[in-house]
Amino acid sequence: MKLLMTASQINGLPVVTVRGGEDIAEVRDVIYDPEAGRLVGLTLNKRGFLSGRRREVLPAESIHAIGRDAVMIVDEDSLVLPNDAPDEVARPATDRNVIGNDVLTERGVSLGTVRDLALVVGGTGEVVGYQIDKSDGGRAYIPLPAQLAVSGAALVVPELTEDFVRDDLVGLGAAVDDFRARLGL
Amino acid sequence: MSESFRQATGRKVISRASAEELGRVSHFVVDAERRHITALVLGRGRKARLVDWEFLSGFGPDAVMVADDAALRGPDDDRERLAVDGKLDLLDKRALTEGGNEVGAVSDVTFDPQTGSIESLLVGEGAVPGSALLGSGSYAVVLDASPSEQPS
Repeated sequence: MKLLMTASQINGLPVVTVRGGEDIAEVRDVIYDPEAGRLVGLTLNKRGFLSGRRREVLPAESIHAIGRDAVMIVDEDSLVLPNDAPDEVARPATDRNVIGNDVLTERGVSLGTVRDLALVVGGTGEVVGYQIDKSDGGRAYIPLPAQLAVSGAALVVPELTEDFVRDDLVGLGAAVDDFRARLGL
Repeated sequence: MSESFRQATGRKVISRASAEELGRVSHFVVDAERRHITALVLGRGRKARLVDWEFLSGFGPDAVMVADDAALRGPDDDRERLAVDGKLDLLDKRALTEGGNEVGAVSDVTFDPQTGSIESLLVGEGAVPGSALLGSGSYAVVLDASPSEQPS
């Protein structure tokens, strides 16, 4: 059973140092590599009402944990300027943004369009599913295989995904392991 | 007998040399990494003074004893200025696990009055041992992940 959060729930969370107990930034957005199926880093805002963007980014390797209420880092040195960050964090490929993409199964059925990412809470942010807008107007969650073909307009998921469409994050959390086991991963 | 921050806040601080009251305990300065009280803050506002733990000759149930008023000093750095203002207090601060989950607020802290070491923190409904304390600052007290939070 995995505890999951969506990327939009992570946006706005304070970034807190474990040793210092200080909220030194807050999450602006998640940087995601859809083909690898994982979070690669976070962009940041300053804390407070007059918050603007912070230049530094937080690479996924430097995240101590992502929780319901905060993103934990060891200390302020975990934040790095884009020049010092891995390329995938500093310059994420914009054509790899999956939000709004059509989700097609291998037999050519559209399940809907990608609305949000579902990440595992507690670790460093493995992306295990998507929240989708279904064509009938409703919302649902689908699990993802570890690897995925992504074009920038559409992404192709296994046919089995149709049996694992779930109504909420809890349902998705319960379905992910079973889904991947059925795929033989 | 252990003491607690709630019980000891407001306690008189007395000079052994003059038997005068130098002030009352307003805040505790804690080194989270060492799980130890490093200093007490006396008074509030601009008149607030610190006394380092090693200058205490006794932390008694009725008074805290120091040698004389030479043991009192002003804040040395930014962190101590925050401490004097109560910004770094553990009491009533939100408690986060190192996993990033809030588990309530710190309602009290118990310590050994002989050594100044932190024994336990009361968080929400339960108590966590002092050894679970990882860090503290103006935003949060950070605790070791609870067993229920460990990945199964």
